[in-house]
Amino acid sequence: MKKHNSLIAVALLAAGSFGSTQALALDGAALYKSKTCIACHGADAKTPIMPNYPKIAGQNAAYAIQQMQDIKSGARANGLSAAMKGVMHLVSDEEIKAIAEWLETL
Amino acid sequence: MKSTKAKHPFIALAIGALLAAPALGDWNEGGGEQDEALHLTPDLENGMDVYEVCAACHLPEGWGMTEGTFPQLAGQHRAVLIKQMADIRAGNRDNPTMYPFALPKAIGDAQALADVVAYIEQLPMTPEWGKGPWPPGTLEYTKGEQLYKDNCVQCHSETGMGDVEKFYPRINGQHYNYMVRQFEWIRDGKRRNANPEMVEQIKNFSNDDMLHVINYITHVPVPADQLAESVDWKNPDFD
Repeated sequence: MKKHNSLIAVALLAAGSFGSTQALALDGAALYKSKTCIACHGADAKTPIMPNYPKIAGQNAAYAIQQMQDIKSGARANGLSAAMKGVMHLVSDEEIKAIAEWLETL
Repeated sequence: MKSTKAKHPFIALAIGALLAAPALGDWNEGGGEQDEALHLTPDLENGMDVYEVCAACHLPEGWGMTEGTFPQLAGQHRAVLIKQMADIRAGNRDNPTMYPFALPKAIGDAQALADVVAYIEQLPMTPEWGKGPWPPGTLEYTKGEQLYKDNCVQCHSETGMGDVEKFYPRINGQHYNYMVRQFEWIRDGKRRNANPEMVEQIKNFSNDDMLHVINYITHVPVPADQLAESVDWKNPDFD
């Protein structure tokens, strides 16, 4: 009986951790808003506030990740990247990935 | 072709705004749209509509971010907000992230500017702004308190309310990290639209002096009737 109970407990724990993993999966669309990407690139990610800012909807995730990381680190400092560098410290590597993967689906 | 067509008038506008920048040297030359916006009767309904674009970074509540990337705007004096917008627009305050949002294309004309700052001014402030690390009773707090009395009170007042008439910002309730960054930029000449009297006043502040004095003002209370009832308050205008 005891053994049986502990098995159930293990099963419940597994189910619980599975549930929390799902809950922790980063939501690229929500991050796009909360990290303020939306302010410059537009709600649909293809209506930037300035014509010399890029449309990013549908961009390849790998490219978007690279650009975000480079702007954050300062490796890329050309063009208008200064405007974006000011907010990139708010975005972690995992969040960059989630945002880029969401953008690719648009 | 489509994008070229859209681009040209915009660039002309941006260049026009840059050319219209007042000569450097006078910290608050005023005139033009700044004066116009100050004297127009604001329309709060329209101000709410205009504020939507600001809300993406400064939040619907106007509270900015506690960690200091974006300042709290709620409760700030209208005249201060107008001056900062005009300065960013005119290239007198470097802020590449904010710049496009200060352009007439994003905000609108002088009336829209008057409307949005009036809307922002009446928003209740966050009851939990970013505070400095040293609470009352610590040596650092006491040092900051003395520095504040000796250097800041005359313009920003004992309570940190600033001076509406003179375009001096209220600094009570502002986030610690934001103020540290701005103070440093003012002291070191990076924030070019600062009042030269302030630059002179703080030129000999060490980095520790700077942290202590800003720590002090973050622990000064904001009048309760200017605060939101709770940190969970959401701006009902943006439901």
